[in-house]
Amino acid sequence: MLMAYASVAAFFLVAIGFILGSLLFGKVIRPNNMYAEKLETYECGEAPVGPAWFNFNPRFYIIALIYIVFDVEIAFVYPVATVFRRWVDAGRGMFALVEIFLFVVILMLGLVYVWVKGDLEWIRSIKGDPRGVQNVSSRTRPEIIKEHDLEEAMPQGAE
Amino acid sequence: MKTGLYLSISPLLVVALGGALLMLAEAFSHHREEHESRSAGPSSELALGTAITLFTGAIFAAAVWFVGPEKLDGSQDLAPWLIIDRFTLFFAFTICVGGGLASLLAGGYLPEHRIDRGEFYPLLTFSSVGAIILAAAGDVLTLFLGLEIMSLGVYALTGFRRGSARSTEASMKYFLLGSFAAALLLYGAALIYGATGHTDLAGIRAALVAGNLNYGLVLIAVTLMIVGLAFKISAVPFHMWTPDAYEGAPTPATSFMAVVVKSAAFATMLRVLLVAFGQPELSSWGAGWPPIIATLAVLTMTVANLIAGRQESVKRMLAYSSIAHAGYILVGVTTTMRLHEDGQASVMFYLLAYTVSTIGAFGALILCGSRGAEAVSYEDLSGLGKRHPAVALVFSLFLLSLAGVPPTAGFFGKLYIVKGAIGAGLYPLSVILLLNSVLGAYYYLRVLVFMYMREPAPGAPFARPMKSGYVTSALVLAAVAVVALGLFPTTSLEVAVRAALAP
Amino acid sequence: MTSIPLEYYLIVAAALFLVGTVGFLLRRNLLVLLMSIELMLNSVNLTLVAYNRVHTESHAGQIFTFFVIAIAAAEAAVGLAIVLAFFRVRKTVRSDEADLLRN
Repeated sequence: MLMAYASVAAFFLVAIGFILGSLLFGKVIRPNNMYAEKLETYECGEAPVGPAWFNFNPRFYIIALIYIVFDVEIAFVYPVATVFRRWVDAGRGMFALVEIFLFVVILMLGLVYVWVKGDLEWIRSIKGDPRGVQNVSSRTRPEIIKEHDLEEAMPQGAE
Repeated sequence: MKTGLYLSISPLLVVALGGALLMLAEAFSHHREEHESRSAGPSSELALGTAITLFTGAIFAAAVWFVGPEKLDGSQDLAPWLIIDRFTLFFAFTICVGGGLASLLAGGYLPEHRIDRGEFYPLLTFSSVGAIILAAAGDVLTLFLGLEIMSLGVYALTGFRRGSARSTEASMKYFLLGSFAAALLLYGAALIYGATGHTDLAGIRAALVAGNLNYGLVLIAVTLMIVGLAFKISAVPFHMWTPDAYEGAPTPATSFMAVVVKSAAFATMLRVLLVAFGQPELSSWGAGWPPIIATLAVLTMTVANLIAGRQESVKRMLAYSSIAHAGYILVGVTTTMRLHEDGQASVMFYLLAYTVSTIGAFGALILCGSRGAEAVSYEDLSGLGKRHPAVALVFSLFLLSLAGVPPTAGFFGKLYIVKGAIGAGLYPLSVILLLNSVLGAYYYLRVLVFMYMREPAPGAPFARPMKSGYVTSALVLAAVAVVALGLFPTTSLEVAVRAALAP
Repeated sequence: MTSIPLEYYLIVAAALFLVGTVGFLLRRNLLVLLMSIELMLNSVNLTLVAYNRVHTESHAGQIFTFFVIAIAAAEAAVGLAIVLAFFRVRKTVRSDEADLLRN
């Protein structure tokens, strides 16, 4: 049964050989004159500014979080679509429709919540920010933070 | 359109719908800006709304109970995903009462400590929905869904004070260990599915009885599932997250965790052990889960009580005490192998008594502190008996109930469990439980000693009780329940016996 | 064409689960811990789908997988939010520097 994998192995060999071969071929025939501008990172013709490892705006992250939760829920709508005709034939089409509609309505509630809360707006006013975030930690007694905790170095890889 | 079906799941529907409405109300309310007067924050309305929602859920659960779920046409339509029986209804009632009282505590606590953001209430309500689903789950799929719906809300509640290093740290630890435990549980479930071909608990049992399975696989799966559940009920040695999460969380969230999460986790533990693995070959002293659960019980009681005595923070002491109570309840779970109905009933009664006593104790702790001076250590409470006798009195009542002093609810909870352990012939377990109760009494009474017999050191800061109608009403409700359960224990025990799962 | 036997999937899944568990227990970077948990959940998915090939009477395993994926996404969202909150306050993503709460 191992012979069944022979075609897979042949495929890999051909794939690797093709890449190596074409790279080697290019290396042989192309002229080799490097200068500083050519060695830079290619950013669509713009001159690159700053290092690539920097902190992104957390807005990206919030939007991505909201997106992924809604995105995954689509996985539940799709199976209903595939069996819907069968349900209609069985006389339960209305039930399935109402059910999936309710599901989407619940999701919409989440969307409305996020929208009203202002998390979909790219530029948020300070007013919408959580209040008292800085104050709380110093007010109540159990919240005393040791000095070094606040001045700890950045995590690895963040710089 | 089956009315019976909707009636039978009405407790769940009420709470879920209420949660959605609260979420919208919170989003559309105009409390975004800083309010100077304390009564005008989002808590002022949402706390009441949440409490009404959850208490309505409890009333519906009780109503379905009195009608009888078996008489409602279609109440079994959702089986095995959601099983609506008296067992579910009992736990739905306990969960709703615990959640409602916790939301009342939050109504006073959040504005006082300036973390008055409305998200707390929808999160709490949705967590309760998850807890009810968990208690009703008759299939590993819904079990997992309920577990995660409940846990995700509670993770967020734990980190609710998001500018605080302690609160975020607590929530992070809780999240990591909680989802690790969920993954273990899930892998166990996947292996069980592989071995038996079923994800519903009854089907798993049928396949196990029919035999001809890969028993090595089943053994690994059962172990993984028990470990996952043990994390959730915070049994030693899977309790590491509990004290940290309980201490760092805002106190209302702590009380919610201690009460609702624990009840729901015990409900599902009972259901999994008794329905899926309940046949004699897997539930006798010589083989199966009883020896594992008994070991967990002994470890949990002893270790938690020993550590609790050494705590300087009352909140952390209560956290360890809640671990110890999980140990007592595990003794009750062990007894179900021989005393089917009575063992379950003792667990359920204990959970009800524990719910009201624990909520009360945390509530009293909240009431003892105020902004900038939260009551944390034993010293904070010194002299409270003279300065604020009423607060000290209710605090004492709840602590005595937790310690198991008659005639409070906690006493009868312990009594029934010990009675069950003796009836089941587990004498060493009952002796260990009694010894542990004595150990436990030490640190509960230590609070009383500080409140009534110590004076605060001159110049030392002492806790000033806050004033809040919400917290006070929650305490009054809890105190009435503690005394009522203590004075009329047999009625509620009979109710619990009727709620027991069929063998 | 011979099909890949069930055991291969199960062994891969078990290995993934083990990698996730060991990673969770040994690593100290919170984001890596989150990834380890995701790895464990994915190994569960693989196990469920693989077993569904044996238990052909229903699609229980595959349906279960859908739910696990959805829950994993929600869990990752909450987890990342918590890690972000932690990082904002403490300026670190190391789990061994979370040491304010202890006996």
